[in-house]
Amino acid sequence: MAVIEVSDLTKQYADLTVLDRMSFSVEEGEIFGILGPNGAGKTTTVECVEGLRRPDGGSIRVLGLDPVKDGRRLRERIGVQLQHTQLPENIKVWEALDLYAAFYAEPRDWRRLLEEWGLADKRDARFGKLSGGQKQRLFIALALVGNPRVAFLDELTTGLDPQARRATWELIKQVRASGVTVVLVSHFMDEVEELCDRVAVVDRGSVVALDTPAGLIDATDAEHQMRFTLMAGEATDPAVLLGGLPGVSGVSRNGGQVVVTGRGDFATAVTATLARNHVLVADLRIDKRTLDDAFVALTGRSFHR
Amino acid sequence: MTAITKLTTVELKLLVREPGSMFTVLIPLFILVIFGSSIKPGDTVLLPMSLAIAVGLVGLYMLPTTLATYRERGILRRLSTTPVRPGSMLAVQLILQLVLVVATCGLLIAVAGTILGADLPDRVLSLAAAFALGTAAMFAIGLLIAAVAANGRAANGVGVLLYFPMAYLAGLMQPTSQMPVFLARVGAYTPLGAFRQALQDVWAGGTPSLLLLGVMAAYAVIVSLAAARFFRWE
Repeated sequence: MAVIEVSDLTKQYADLTVLDRMSFSVEEGEIFGILGPNGAGKTTTVECVEGLRRPDGGSIRVLGLDPVKDGRRLRERIGVQLQHTQLPENIKVWEALDLYAAFYAEPRDWRRLLEEWGLADKRDARFGKLSGGQKQRLFIALALVGNPRVAFLDELTTGLDPQARRATWELIKQVRASGVTVVLVSHFMDEVEELCDRVAVVDRGSVVALDTPAGLIDATDAEHQMRFTLMAGEATDPAVLLGGLPGVSGVSRNGGQVVVTGRGDFATAVTATLARNHVLVADLRIDKRTLDDAFVALTGRSFHR
Repeated sequence: MTAITKLTTVELKLLVREPGSMFTVLIPLFILVIFGSSIKPGDTVLLPMSLAIAVGLVGLYMLPTTLATYRERGILRRLSTTPVRPGSMLAVQLILQLVLVVATCGLLIAVAGTILGADLPDRVLSLAAAFALGTAAMFAIGLLIAAVAANGRAANGVGVLLYFPMAYLAGLMQPTSQMPVFLARVGAYTPLGAFRQALQDVWAGGTPSLLLLGVMAAYAVIVSLAAARFFRWE
């Protein structure tokens, strides 16, 4: 069942078209990623879906509700973590959770959220004294305290160190496990690849691709490489042996180091051929294809401009 | 507890924790006590001055700084994603800043009435009218600062920058009798000047002139409308 249906969403600011016939739907219980470079229209999209902005055209249904007309009812059922939002410096962690719980008709027990999100020992700490990771956990807890059916998380791990990011990812998986649908806005490829069940790749205000992360990577069929080292005394010429295999577009050799370039699943053919011909190799490595490659292939330009 | 009572409770705690609140209480109290030791019995000038200072500080400094900081930090915006409207926060802040004004002025009057032996006015209705209109005018200016300031620090700066000339023109820095006649005349029609004069009239046993009350009411209405026109939630 789709919990969010967006079709032909448009939004303009003055002469600038921010959203251009944006369409996608989010299924219940999934982590849905909205991925794109800064300025692609990701945040504007979710803000229209949350009812914070009024779209110029198109239709939005969230849990069957129109965010503009049924805003009050919708806000009871969604949880939001916004980019660049802070709390007052002097508010204590428990006070913030207690306060936000009071905003909703059927809130979750914030004391349990405090435990679940590892903030129990920070219960009486003031917001200004929390670390970046702790603040982020508090924001997620605040997004969940209203017992929402859908949680929107916008640029969740920006500014966190690698360890805190990993920890946050684990927590997001827990949110999904608890039955909450998650919409994750991100410009981090690794984050989306790690967390999302499905991803909408957004560029210049519209969805250019929508699939699972693996599906996006496979579909783009970007050229990638595998490398290995020939064992000492190996006389076979890898260019002759591997050059004609399906998918392989190039073989280069530097001493014992061999790099094979190709598309699709050429790596399986290469390893099978090496084994069949009893060519002994070491340090075999296949460069992982990433969403970065997929993005370049989809939009024709680099993600990190 | 309803959302609004909870919001009020938490915001009250935050107001108490804010060092600025302490200053808005201590500065007029300090002026009252220091100068109070050398005033004549039956003085009708000093207490109205310190009351005007207190209301001026809350209106020009506390209110705009708090609201602009809340907008800057996205707190109003975050609220608009919950079932509670951000307008509730605005209402709660106005009420609490009013509580701060009443508490500070109550303290000043109590200290002046007991320790300093100052006269207290018996025209309660006149006092209430002058107080309500003066506070409304100063809060309107605070709201306008909050509306146009880019962030909390800017609001703070604008508030402080506005406070000193306004306090001078209002005769809070030196008695109006020692000011250049022109400035004293103009100052009487500034919000803070009209407020101080109205309070002083009440303390002197009279009723404030309708002109002064009208001036304060006009500031309150016109400046509030401007603030509403320019206010942004984000």
